[in-house]
This record gives sequence, C-alpha cells and structure tokens, in this order.
Amino acid sequence: MRDNTLKYLLVLPAILVVFATAIWPLIESLRLSFTVGRFSVPGSLEQYLGWENFAWAFTQEPAFWNAVRVTAIYTVLTVGLTTTMALGLALLLAPGGKFRAGVQTILILPFAMSPALIGVSFRFMFNPEFGLFDAFFGVLIPPLADVSWLADPILAFAVCVMADVWGWIPFLTLVLIGGLASIPQDTIEAAQVDGASNWRVFKDITIPQLAPVLAVVIILKSIFSLKTFDQIFMLTNGGPGTATQTLSHYIYFNGMKYGQIGYAASVAWLMVIPMIVLAYAYTKFVFRKD
Amino acid sequence: MASVILKNLTKCWGDFIGVDNQSLDIQDHEFLVLLGPSGCGKTTTMRMIAGLEDPTDGEIWIGDRMVNDDLPKDRHVAMVFQNYGLYPHMTVFDNIAYPLRVRGTPKGEIEPRVKKAAGQVELIELLHRKPKALSGGQRQRVALARAIVRTPRVFLMDEPLSNLDAKLRVTMRAELKHLSRELKITTIYVTHDQIEAMTLADRIAVMKDGIIQQVGTPDEIYNDPASLFVAGFIGSPAMNLINGSVQDGYFVTTGGTKLVAVSVPDKPDVVLGVRADDMRISEEGEGDIDARIYAFEHTGEATLLTVQWGTQRVIVRGARHLRKEQGEIVSISLGSDHLYLFNPDTGKRIRG
Ligand SMILES: Nc1ncnc2c1ncn2[C@@H]1O[C@H](COP(=O)(O)OP(=O)(O)OP(=O)(O)O)[C@@H](O)[C@H]1O
Ligand SMILES: [Mg+2]
Repeated sequence: MRDNTLKYLLVLPAILVVFATAIWPLIESLRLSFTVGRFSVPGSLEQYLGWENFAWAFTQEPAFWNAVRVTAIYTVLTVGLTTTMALGLALLLAPGGKFRAGVQTILILPFAMSPALIGVSFRFMFNPEFGLFDAFFGVLIPPLADVSWLADPILAFAVCVMADVWGWIPFLTLVLIGGLASIPQDTIEAAQVDGASNWRVFKDITIPQLAPVLAVVIILKSIFSLKTFDQIFMLTNGGPGTATQTLSHYIYFNGMKYGQIGYAASVAWLMVIPMIVLAYAYTKFVFRKD
Repeated sequence: MASVILKNLTKCWGDFIGVDNQSLDIQDHEFLVLLGPSGCGKTTTMRMIAGLEDPTDGEIWIGDRMVNDDLPKDRHVAMVFQNYGLYPHMTVFDNIAYPLRVRGTPKGEIEPRVKKAAGQVELIELLHRKPKALSGGQRQRVALARAIVRTPRVFLMDEPLSNLDAKLRVTMRAELKHLSRELKITTIYVTHDQIEAMTLADRIAVMKDGIIQQVGTPDEIYNDPASLFVAGFIGSPAMNLINGSVQDGYFVTTGGTKLVAVSVPDKPDVVLGVRADDMRISEEGEGDIDARIYAFEHTGEATLLTVQWGTQRVIVRGARHLRKEQGEIVSISLGSDHLYLFNPDTGKRIRG
C-alpha cells in the first residue's frame, strides 16, 4: 500500500466520527430550520416553509426577544465581572504578586465542577429555608433577610450571574496569570525608574502588553456566556417566568418541550451569527502574526 | 544633581552574597566607572541604587536623603538597563518620551527634547519604529536616549555601549563625556571596555566577588594597582605576571633567571607584574634577557610579541614598524620604573 493511501485510511475513522456527530447534525439542523418541523405533525419534518421560522421569531415572538435581551445582559455582565475580577486576582497571584503558591491550586477547584452541579449547589445555597448564602446575605444586608432569591426576577438573574462568575473566575485567572508572567519584568522596572506610579505602570505597561491575552479571554468567555445552558437549567430553569431564560434555554424549550424542532433549529442558527463573529475574532487573536 | 553615598551596603540571596558590605562615596558631578568581571555585583549595586532591589543591609544616600525606603520613581535616577528594558508596544519616540510624560512635562516641550536625545544617539530616522524592528545596537541607543532625555539627579548606566560597533562606540563615548561635563550629573557607569573606563571616569571602582577592590582615578588604577587582581584586570593586554623570588636585591624567576634589580627586601615567593608597554625590545644579546618569539601580532597601531624563555611567557608591545618572525630570538629589557611586586598568597602589593 502506498504511504499516501495509508495516511488517509488512518484518519478516515476520525473523519467519519466527526462527520456523524458534528457535521451531519449541523447540516440536518440547517435543513430543519426551513421546515414546519413539529414532532406532533407527521411529515412536517419534510414540509418546507422558506424563511418563515426566522420571520416568526423576529415578528411574532416576544419570548424570543426576551431571551435575546436576557442573553445579552447576562453575557455583558458575566464577561465584564469575570474578566475584571480574574484580572485583579491574577495581579495578586502572579509571580511577584502578593500571594502565591498553594492558592493557585485551590483556585482551580470551582472550575473542576460541572456547570450543572454549580447550578444545583447554588440552588441549595439560596434556598430560603436552609440556604447558606441566603442566611449570609440576610445577616449582612438585613432588608434581604426574608427574600426568596430565586422567586424574584431580578435577584434570580443576579444569582445566575453570581454562579457563573464564581465558576469561571478560576480558569480565567490562571490564563491571565500566564499572560502576566510573560510580560518582561524589565519593562516594568524601567517604567518605575522612569517615574511611573503603580497605576501608570499598570495602565501604560502591563495592560497594553497583556492586551492580546485579555482579548482572547474576553472573546472566549463571551462565547461561553452566550451558550450558557446547563447551569441555568438546574438553577432556575429559566424562571421565575422567563426572567432568566437565555437563548439556549429558549431553544431547548421550543425544541424538546414543545416539539417545535424546526423553529428551534432556526433560532439556533440565528445564534450562530454572533458565535461566528466571536470565533473569527478569536482565531484572529490566537493565530495573529505580529 | 546629588552625591551618592553607599554605607555598608550588602545584598544576599539566601547564602549567596551578591554585594558584601561595601561603602563608597560618589561626589556630586562625579563620573564613577564600576569595573569588574562578570557576576561581581555591578548590576546588583546599580539596581539597589535605583530602588529595584532591596538591600539586605546598609544605607543608600542620594544627596542628603537616605533613600532606602523611597520608591524608584521618587529617587529621580535615570537608568540604562543592561538588557535595555524597552517598551515593546511603544514606538521609539514614545519610548524616549515616556519618562517625560509620566513626570508631567508640558506637551510642547516633549517633542523637541525627544528629538534632541534621539539626535544625540543618531536615531532620528527610526523614531516611528517599534523596538522589535530594531537591531541590538539600535535598541541600546533607544535605552540610552530614554535616560538622557531627562535631567535626573543621578545617571545609572549599565554597559550602555556594549552592543555598538567600534566606530559608533567611539562617537557615543565622546557624546557621553560631553554630556556628563555639560549637564554635571552624577553618573555611575558600568563597562567591560577598558578604554571607556579610562577615558570617561573621574574615578574607577574595581569590583570582584561583591567587594570593591580599589577606588581611584584611572591613572592611579592603571599605574598604582593595589592588588594582583586589579593589576591583572586593568590594561590590555593584561599585565604580565611572573612568578619568582627576591634574592640579593634582584627578582629571580622560578626558572632561576636573574631578571631585574628591585628595591624590596629578600623574599621567597613573589609575583612580578610588568606591563607590555614597560618593556623594551632589542636585538639578541643587547638587553636584560634573550627570549624566543612565540607569536608575533600586528594590531595596527603597534605590534605585540609573545616571547618565551624556559616556560615563562610574557607579552611585550613593540613599535609599529617592527617586523619579526616567529622563532627569532630577541632581547627584552625591563626598566626599573613601573615594576609591581605582589604577595601571591594575599594578592596584596609589596611596596619598596
Ligand atoms: N535574583 C537573584 N538571585 C540570586 N542571585 C542573583 C540574583 N541576581 C543576581 N544574582 C547573582 O549575583 C551576582 C552578581 O550579579 P550582577 O548581575 O550584579 O553581576 P554583574 O557584575 O552585573 O555581571 P555582568 O558583568 O555579567 O553583568 C551574580 O553571581 C548573580 O548570579
Ligand atoms: Mg550586569
């Protein structure tokens, strides 16, 4: 057998697996998004509608726009909070920072937890009867003592954001520590001798040199925030009402719960648009030639 | 403008002593050159003065203020780092302008001052480039410009010309000499280049293993070395060091050759130091000792002869037009001036 043939033969199983589990479902979902696609209506999976599903989402569905709004606010808040807090932690934990060693190891623990599990544990902690956080916030801020967190639309949303930030900080901190460690120490020392205060060193020297890593962190986190599902599913299941219903959750509900698979597929494809933009930006930054 | 005073300065890392209990007074306006082999603690000393390294012990005074607890930014020193420390994300212009900007220099003043400093280091055409797009020597000149663009109280320059070609180095040397005289800023300067040290320094401090061996004017260091180490370290080619003894008022080599009259009491073990320039070459039989030419080198402005008798080799500088062949016999004479005797055990000079 020629080397070339063997080469392709050896990767063939992998290609088949990828095709069966990723590419084919992708194409199939695109096809479905143009069909009536209801589980309850026989033959509707082949009944084509053109762009009607998409138009429906935009014009007839306040719930869709609600999910868009929730997802957008959720993404902006979690990305902003996680990144700033992770950056602060990274500065404290980086080589030459104030704390170090052991802490870094402990730090990774929340990240080792599955998002669904994070959702479950946060639901426990905010339980009005025996929740730890619930009691804790009650003591700290007395007006919050008798509040049922997950029953209040705004507070439930806040808990979702909190759980996400908590789960993601470790990973982003580690990435940023790596980024900080790669900044040459002598540029920082040169700036100090040149007369820069700590704040100016941070603003003029550290941040610009950290920018590529920071960009990657923000983009990656945005992608993950946009597609958040399991945590919300376990924590609030989109409620109360639709107060915490993200797009993924909305898609899941329409597809799996209501059996409107065609419509769900078209909303899923709408979500692909911002994802592609972010993924493109990500590859730009990661594989940038400077 | 200020004096710099080091009092019993020490820097240790664990058991390792980088700088060992050193004291040094550097006058206001003085140009002090720190000279010493690699790893002797020159950079460490500079970094402690700049405030980038905390001394383990001792005091640092700049002017009439002890600065041990002052942040680098409050010490008003400008430093040229050995490895440059340029800001990779800024252009050459912004690199040079940075110390002015953080110190709140009026906008209108910045550009002319940056241009002037860039001109002094011959970088005017490269102002818009990023450091990555520069050669090593160009980067070093950016680092230099970033220091001289300011008027600090003290300049700290850690081998600021080490990466420049010979011609540029001479120009920059003159530029620095001019600048230090004109601005009258106290300067501490590290170099491995003997000519730089000799030409720039008001005083030279020779360091070894974290200890300052001798401080003196270039003339004192060159013509009156206090120890074997200083004698061997200063001068190019290095001073010839010949093992032997003093017997009946004569220096006698270990091989038994009676070399030259010296005015010290008899002593069994001594080292005689004599510089290549302080010996004369004549035809066979005319001088103190005949020796075979082991190597003949032509440096351009002079000739260097390595000659050998027995197992002893010495280097002698000859006239520019001297032409000899390897293997020929010549005669060497040692004047009685400029001979240095050392105790080989302590390394200390033995004075007559
Ligand atoms: N952070 C550190 N930890 C431990 N040892 C150090 C540290 N920094 C420097 N040293 C040691 O201190 C000694 C002096 O270093 P220093 O950088 O001052 O040498 P130097 O005289 O500037 O040498 P060179 O001419 O090679 O630049 C060296 O032996 C070095 O290994
Ligand atoms: Mg050094």
